[in-house]
Amino acid sequence: MAEAGRRPRVLVVEDEDNIAIALDYLMTREGYAHDRVANGAEALARIRATHPDLVLLDVMLPGVSGYEICQDVRMDPGLADVKILMMTARGSALERRKGLALGADGFIAKPFELKDLRAEVRRLLGEGGGPA
Amino acid sequence: MMERWSLRLRVFLLFAALAGASWVALAAGLWAGYHRLSDPAVLPAFVQAGVVAGFAILGLTAGIWYLFDENVARAIERLAGGLRARAHAAVGAEIDAGPARYLGDLAPAAAAVTLTLAETRNALAEAVARETTRLQAEKDRLEALLSDVPVGVLLCSAGHQLVFYNGQAADILGGGAAPGLDRRLFDYLREAPVAHAYARLLEAGDAEAASDLLVATVAGARVLAGRMRLLDQGQDRPGYVLTLRDVTADLAAHAERGALLAEVFDRVRRPAANLQTVIGVLAEEAGAGPDLTRDLAPALTGAMLEEVGSLARAITELAARYDDSRGDGWPLAFTRASDLADGIRARVEAAGLEVAADPAPILLRCDGFEIVALVSMLAERVAAARLARGVRLEIAEDGAGAMIRLGWDGAALPLGQLDGWLSEPLEVGMAGVTGTSVLRVHGTECWPEHAAGRSAICLPLREARRAHRRPAPVTRAVVYDFDLLSKARNAGVLEARLEDLTYVVFDTETTGLLPAQGDEIVQIAAVRIVNGRRVEKEVFDTLVNPGRPIPAASTEVHGITGAMVAEAPGMDEVGRRFHKFAEGAVLVAHNAPFDMEFLRRHEAGIGASFDNPILDTVLLSAVVFGQGETHSLDALTHRLGITIPEEARHTAIGDTVATADAFLRLLPMLRAKGMVTFGDVLAEVRKHGRLLKDLNG
Repeated sequence: MAEAGRRPRVLVVEDEDNIAIALDYLMTREGYAHDRVANGAEALARIRATHPDLVLLDVMLPGVSGYEICQDVRMDPGLADVKILMMTARGSALERRKGLALGADGFIAKPFELKDLRAEVRRLLGEGGGPA
Repeated sequence: MMERWSLRLRVFLLFAALAGASWVALAAGLWAGYHRLSDPAVLPAFVQAGVVAGFAILGLTAGIWYLFDENVARAIERLAGGLRARAHAAVGAEIDAGPARYLGDLAPAAAAVTLTLAETRNALAEAVARETTRLQAEKDRLEALLSDVPVGVLLCSAGHQLVFYNGQAADILGGGAAPGLDRRLFDYLREAPVAHAYARLLEAGDAEAASDLLVATVAGARVLAGRMRLLDQGQDRPGYVLTLRDVTADLAAHAERGALLAEVFDRVRRPAANLQTVIGVLAEEAGAGPDLTRDLAPALTGAMLEEVGSLARAITELAARYDDSRGDGWPLAFTRASDLADGIRARVEAAGLEVAADPAPILLRCDGFEIVALVSMLAERVAAARLARGVRLEIAEDGAGAMIRLGWDGAALPLGQLDGWLSEPLEVGMAGVTGTSVLRVHGTECWPEHAAGRSAICLPLREARRAHRRPAPVTRAVVYDFDLLSKARNAGVLEARLEDLTYVVFDTETTGLLPAQGDEIVQIAAVRIVNGRRVEKEVFDTLVNPGRPIPAASTEVHGITGAMVAEAPGMDEVGRRFHKFAEGAVLVAHNAPFDMEFLRRHEAGIGASFDNPILDTVLLSAVVFGQGETHSLDALTHRLGITIPEEARHTAIGDTVATADAFLRLLPMLRAKGMVTFGDVLAEVRKHGRLLKDLNG
């Protein structure tokens, strides 16, 4: 949980560089401290190490799928306060259900409007005190 | 002349002639001897000798005649009678040789002949019976096959009249009216494609040729894919077999897919092209100096945002539509949840595990076999991974679909492990089938859940519906009369032979006896008679909402109450359907003017007039039995040996069937009275016109 006054920390788990660049830029503009992982296999270790407030998690990743990372995070009681927002390019209703069932806090389908993503990120971080 | 006399008479005459001739010879001999003696004193002695000898001759010939008559003539007659009986009628007993015992070998020879005859006959009868049984069994098997094939099968005569149809064909064609024997195919299907295919096959002149066609129903609601094959190339204009498959849904799904794909390209191509241009300009101008970029930037950025926005919207919307349409035209059948649970339980218990199954009363659209294989594989893997000894299987309704949940008390299942299981081959007797491919075919996902010490694997299915009572099995009967293939047709009804006409025998139940004072029909039943045979499966039987109360006195008669007809269609709708059913047939009713009066009052609402030829069994009864008799339906059926079951009396269908059977028995009687054509009957009926008015104009 982000303490009051501290900048919320966001981890972007995304293998596509182009969108990662844009997301990095967006997170900076929003005033979040952020970090990026391009590989599913490294994601869990990084989350454990940095304990971010929010993980922007792509589903289709090389190595380990986003769903699996999500489940692993939720099975670790020490990471209970890490919010997860899943992103996928195949946003069928069943995939959304699967993501939420595995413990994601939000689910957003690509392509998305920036304002939708911004609103969703704020909602998830806002619940935990959020940026002032 | 003598040949015509009986054998015994001729034998008798022979002996009588012998005796007479002996007398004449004796008298001549005695007379010659007496003349030689020339002594009148010996005359008495001669006469005495003559008389004695005459009596002796008479006695001897009579005696020998008697023996001859008894043992030869009568024996021969008896033997001949016995032979005739065995030749013409199937008398089984051995011939009696007693009376013919003095005829040497004749009697044993006759006995041998009749014995051989009887044996041959029995063998023949047995062979015929055996063959008939075999043919009947074959016919039954073929009927069962044809009634069960999942395509409509029709047989038509060269004149495009129905000779055979199976249940599926009845379903496919029966958009408006159910099909009937000897009806024109073009009452149901559009004429041009069928006629064209027929002409093509005739021209080809190849017995093996088949012609594929696509034809719409006359009602226009369905598109059918068909294949036509001629029946018998030997004939000048042969009949044909037509197999039909309803491709309406396939075509619609195909068209929808095509339209969606076209729209995807249309809505993606324009923004993509626009974006390419805008970004291309921006990239080039970036090198042209900061001023230009600053001037252009706001306009180009606005254009980019707009185009990319419409691209994103298009993809989101189209993807949602694609997602929705995935269930359409899916070649998967609905399977009962309890059947799935039984299948899974059987397989899992065979592997030594415990299953508690709780299926909801729903039907799931899925490949039952694959789902059973997948879920039982998962259950076995869960046990093998030592997560649990026993599992719970729950199949529940879930939105528009269903959720299959395989639960256990214990540790959670890591998704990576589940994905690993799903990627392994599944034992369904087909190569290349994995859990993942089964999920893909069903357009679904599968994931583990864990909460409060309880774990589960969730497998949603997209489409499910509440299970109602298992529907009664549809009688997949086949209906046919192959004699129709070679039936010659007459142009006019009047010249048509009675047995060649198609009849619709009908009866109505009403609110009362006075149509002029507002009484109406509450029930119509009808059956069809084609080729002199009542077609069992072609029955019209329906209640009619009379749009007015039914008096208790009428309910007393026919048992139909207002509540029973409340949901029934009105007379205009039923009348249209009945008009269709009776199309091209002679209408037959008992006391037809009564029923016709009710029908004709609705002709305006029905939008068609009942101009069928009409026969009245009351009048036919008068023609056959004379006007002195009673011609009520009860009296007529009684005279003709037809019994109406008490529970069927005064139901429209019971009376209809009785009238039809009576009519079928009256037909040969009319023929015996020399009435061969419909015109003959009509002329005769008109003589009884004063009994009841004739309705044929």
